[in-house]
Amino acid sequence: MLFFQYFLISVLLQLLFSELLTINGFQPNIVLLFVILSQMPESNTSKAVLIGFVTGLFCDLVLFTGSYIGLSSLVFSICAFMSSRIRYNFVFRNFDSYWILTLLVGIAIYCLFRYDFLFFSNFFLFLRNFLLISLYSVLVSYILVKILSLRKVVLNA
Amino acid sequence: MIGARLFNDKNVPLFTLLICIFLSLALIFSDSNEKVQSFRISITKNFSFLYQPFNWIDNQSFLLKKIEVLSSENLKLNLENELLSSNKIENDYLREFLNFQDREKYKFVGSDVISRGNTSNLNTILIDTGFESGVKKNNPVLSSRGVVGKIIASSANTSVVQLISDGNFRLSVRVMPSESEGILRWRSNTICEIFEVKKTSDINIGDSVVTSNLSTYFPPDLPIGKVISIHDKSDSFNKVVRLELHSDLSKLNQLFVIIEGDNQ
Repeated sequence: MLFFQYFLISVLLQLLFSELLTINGFQPNIVLLFVILSQMPESNTSKAVLIGFVTGLFCDLVLFTGSYIGLSSLVFSICAFMSSRIRYNFVFRNFDSYWILTLLVGIAIYCLFRYDFLFFSNFFLFLRNFLLISLYSVLVSYILVKILSLRKVVLNA
Repeated sequence: MIGARLFNDKNVPLFTLLICIFLSLALIFSDSNEKVQSFRISITKNFSFLYQPFNWIDNQSFLLKKIEVLSSENLKLNLENELLSSNKIENDYLREFLNFQDREKYKFVGSDVISRGNTSNLNTILIDTGFESGVKKNNPVLSSRGVVGKIIASSANTSVVQLISDGNFRLSVRVMPSESEGILRWRSNTICEIFEVKKTSDINIGDSVVTSNLSTYFPPDLPIGKVISIHDKSDSFNKVVRLELHSDLSKLNQLFVIIEGDNQ
């Protein structure tokens, strides 16, 4: 129940950011944050990967219409795998750094597909775009994690 | 024996991940498949109600500002129109005198943006007109200021527009008044670059960039942007021209699709 509740919130926030709070064409990926945090307490990694895959497919079909179909499922599966592998004690000590690291991995994969032409023709521009998207995503995600007390929710799940 | 070791409980998550990665990559590489595209369009259309409240808020917040801008533009265009009307009469007379062919007029279909490609960078959008209104694949799409992209897929009542900001978008363009031609490619935000422009071309900052008559799908002389910088490459016979698009691709609400034109 809690999963669907937060999933709905993340979809609404994603729509809000995509339609109204896009800065210079960059948007934070809230649904990716949701997948990372929701799969941290999941002990069954296979289940976490499948949830990531299905959520990604939903996003590709409904939310991320400008992206390749399958890209979000790829990113979400990998990030869900990484999140689910983490142990409780490690989450307790390094919660923020772990979700930020997983989020950055996800954004890096996104950027590799989205800016593949820049990666080969103008690497500095590629890096600039990656850094700007990462900065905006991490900043918004950090604020959401603090406001919604998501650390507590994850650790109590 | 080796198979049993590989498929033990410990490796199941890894195999699940590999299967998901394989399926995702298969989907990514079948992205241009027409069946996949039409399936995606139908799903997006069914869920387009999710975007409507946000689009409405977005429209309302910009409405007053838009009216103000449009009023001043209208006045400016009225004055320009007066001047151009007299020039047209003169031009028609001269074309007739020189036996030039008549230019075809374009037929536009107006449409609203249903959803903006919700990615880290906007490269496609969904509009509410499809083949029932005469919209076909590769039709040019314009905002009130100039070219923004082309149709890449259409269903009965919706179409997907590939924006200029898509990394794979290329367009044959001409810089006026020098009439130098080149290939346009997006760079960042509203900035694009024109490649394959001859070094000897006389291009200046502020020159306007329009579609050339070499494009298969775009009729000539559609406005695109203005030149903001020119870069000479020492190791090439060409120069790179940078331009700013007239249209702000992050604020597209109403668009026009050209369904009949010179090159259609």
